[in-house]
Amino acid sequence: MSDSDMQAFQQRLDRMAAIFGDIVAHAEESILTRCPYRNRFDLCTALFRCSNQLPTDDGEPDDLACGHDGKFDYRSAWESHPRAMNRTREKIVRIRRDAARRRRSRREENRGQ
Amino acid sequence: MPELSDIANQFIREEIEEFIELPEEIERNITLFSRASPLMQDIAAALIDGDMTTVDRLTRQALDQGVGALEIMDDGLIAGMGIVGIKFREGYVFVPEVLISARAMKAGMAHIEPILAASGVEPIGTVIMGTVQGDLHDIGKNLCIMLLRGGGFTVIDLGVNTKPDEFIAAVRENDAHIIGMSALLTTTMPNMARTVEAFKDAGLREGVRFMVGGAPVTPEFGRDVGADGYGKDALACVELAKKLAVEVC
Repeated sequence: MSDSDMQAFQQRLDRMAAIFGDIVAHAEESILTRCPYRNRFDLCTALFRCSNQLPTDDGEPDDLACGHDGKFDYRSAWESHPRAMNRTREKIVRIRRDAARRRRSRREENRGQ
Repeated sequence: MPELSDIANQFIREEIEEFIELPEEIERNITLFSRASPLMQDIAAALIDGDMTTVDRLTRQALDQGVGALEIMDDGLIAGMGIVGIKFREGYVFVPEVLISARAMKAGMAHIEPILAASGVEPIGTVIMGTVQGDLHDIGKNLCIMLLRGGGFTVIDLGVNTKPDEFIAAVRENDAHIIGMSALLTTTMPNMARTVEAFKDAGLREGVRFMVGGAPVTPEFGRDVGADGYGKDALACVELAKKLAVEVC
């Protein structure tokens, strides 16, 4: 393979990166008003429960329609309450402290053996 | 001047007719697809349709028939993804459909990657991506993956609800040095810290770099869990991965 092959391939990869870059830039904008889990048939593709999910009458029991009207930035519903964030922070401090303690005692045990 | 009727594949003809509005884009796509072979048009059509199995099979078939990797990329994969991008921009398809097409493109690219490597175009590095244990949100992670792959990374997607042990196994199996963790719930965010600690327990922390993201995650929170960086969106995630790759890959 020559350098020109490498350059030609790199050009194609750059082109792909540009297409994906445009797609993501548009996605960042569009998800302000339309849930990213909502597909073109207005069905919800999320694997988790959401209060906007509604049953459909298409005969497919697993299908759930998205009931959000898309008129505001639904992401505010995802924003975490400061109290929940504080609890999470405290939990993380505990997790890290306990893990460090566990590792330290394991090291001391190993040294003692 | 080629015309729409010069395109053999009916699905592609309909896609151009129904979904592309700008005259210069119509002209560009008619020119592109009218000179593309029927097999390349079929690859593009399957990709637009999100049919991963067909893209995989036809790409393999094309290479077996001696079609060049550049032609497959130009006239099949990139041409198809270009139409998906236009449909997304114009509001005919949405994020879930785009991600399905991106997955189909990945299936085709899997056959091209060895040829790229042989030509000297190596991946920047391998990134292990997963939504942490207990969390089932995956769109943000999937957008990051799409962009990381487009940006030249090999990405191992562990999906959602990923346990610390699964991240560790994936790093070992793939000799990876960058890990991307996503969480969207305050209840699952501590599992980012548990994963980082599990790497320390396994003696692997020094050789890897962690990046974290997700709607409630902040740079401060990233530091709290012991991560090496935070990406606020998919574009930032790729930039961060490139920076971390310089350190460890």
